[in-house]
Amino acid sequence: MDFLFNDYNARIIINIGIYIIMALGLNLITGVTGQLSLGHAAFMSIGAYTSSLLSMKLGLPFGVALLGGSLTAAFFGVLLGFPTLRLTGDYLAMATLGFAEIVRVILTNLEVTGGALGLSPIPYKTTMPLVLISVILIVFAMARIERSRFGRALLAIREDEIAAETMGINTFRYKIVAFALGSFCAGLGGSLYAHFITYINPVDFGFNKSIEILNMVVLGGMGSIPGTILGSVVLTIAPEFLRFVEQYRMLFYGALLVIMMIFRPNGLLGGVNFTDLVLKTFGLKKKKKVNGSSEKEGVK
Amino acid sequence: MSLLQLKNTTIRFGGLVAVEYVDLTIEKGEILALIGPNGAGKSTIFNMVTGIYPPTEGNIYFSGEEITHLKPYQITARGIARTFQNIRLFKDLSVLDNVKIGCHNHTKSELWGALSRLPAVKKEEAEITDKALACLELTGLSKKRDELAKNLSYGEQRRLEIARALAAEPKLLLLDEPAAGMNSGEKVSLANMVREIRDMGLTIFLVEHDMKFVMGLSDRVVVLNYGRKIADGTPEEVKKNPDVITAYLGKDGV
Repeated sequence: MDFLFNDYNARIIINIGIYIIMALGLNLITGVTGQLSLGHAAFMSIGAYTSSLLSMKLGLPFGVALLGGSLTAAFFGVLLGFPTLRLTGDYLAMATLGFAEIVRVILTNLEVTGGALGLSPIPYKTTMPLVLISVILIVFAMARIERSRFGRALLAIREDEIAAETMGINTFRYKIVAFALGSFCAGLGGSLYAHFITYINPVDFGFNKSIEILNMVVLGGMGSIPGTILGSVVLTIAPEFLRFVEQYRMLFYGALLVIMMIFRPNGLLGGVNFTDLVLKTFGLKKKKKVNGSSEKEGVK
Repeated sequence: MSLLQLKNTTIRFGGLVAVEYVDLTIEKGEILALIGPNGAGKSTIFNMVTGIYPPTEGNIYFSGEEITHLKPYQITARGIARTFQNIRLFKDLSVLDNVKIGCHNHTKSELWGALSRLPAVKKEEAEITDKALACLELTGLSKKRDELAKNLSYGEQRRLEIARALAAEPKLLLLDEPAAGMNSGEKVSLANMVREIRDMGLTIFLVEHDMKFVMGLSDRVVVLNYGRKIADGTPEEVKKNPDVITAYLGKDGV
């Protein structure tokens, strides 16, 4: 257990946790609901700035700041969703990208956000237990969503929006809710990030950050919760492991992505039914319990 | 009162008139077939009834209520479900999940239900599973429930579309070329399945190219040509109608 308390490792673990939260949010929007968003970092920055201002300027308790940051991000998610979620595919990607740039420019030019200098010092409040609890709660929530009527509606939208609509799903409303939830996660991650790094400026939340989070989802396997977690872990620690190649670090990082996409185009865990896999590994696979079914399971 | 009524329904796409002043009624419990040469506007009528394209002119009533400008999900909520000519399944989801999504229409739990998983939510989820399995049973797909929809054969995919539509518990079922791509054996069992569904109390409205299939199954046939209705009657009446013969075989075809 000692290594956990090593400062360097602890920082990496907290970082991983924060990215898992944000990546799971984007996974809900892009992986589950199929709406390509290139502006996830904008919601992260909204959460980061809101929570920082709440704790710095208003001196509010950390918990309130955290919730405030997350809810504000969710609110902006809904606000952005109304005009843009009528768009699909590439158009939505462009709109979210544009939104992220607008947010970044506004943050750079507002006085209250400290302009290009950003905000500091933000109180250092983010602890490992807090991050771990947040991760567990988000994973739990996402897993429950995945196996519910609500989650199936989101999947249906990803698979075929017109068919989803004719099955009685109000696709627009569901997309808005998914966007709000995803943005909430980004805001939560951003709030934790700000109170961990203690210094934020607009450059931290540029297009690169959005792509980095998207990479985690794609690399892990779109729509897969374990995949997204794995993607976040791999891509957060990859730069650390690649320190030995010094200035070629980003080159290796890029090569890693290319290789992964060639060998696992659906992501590391894309298309893997994780529950089944675990059950099979431990020899616990049972016959699926299904009510009211009369027919016997055929041997495959 | 008719179950479905189209009054003067017209739709134009720019300069093209796809459907022109069509009047059509469907009575409860009948099997009505809509036929016509390619491009006659059959699928467009389906798309208007289900709200995918709102008509440019005219009105559509379902059980006496106007549904002309409702959104597709609102129309489904009132009791109309459909299948698609170019199969639109949720390909990467399991067969069972496809049908469970069909149950969306008459179930309630939302985000809060998903997160809290209260007893009422669990009960609803069990009901969804039962309903979905019953629909799979009816369409003969029970054994395939854990397969991904995209891995089914063509005929099975068509049946899965029907199962998914049935899960929505509609009063009116629209089938868009249900027999397309099926062999003659599959067509016979499809016809039996459609009769069975009708006997459950549903009304069937179908578009189909296969004349033998249509004539053997339908109570009434409506013929469309160039977006206009040219005949409406029993299969025997329609077969003898000179306009219909001209539309299908050309003027000198007789």
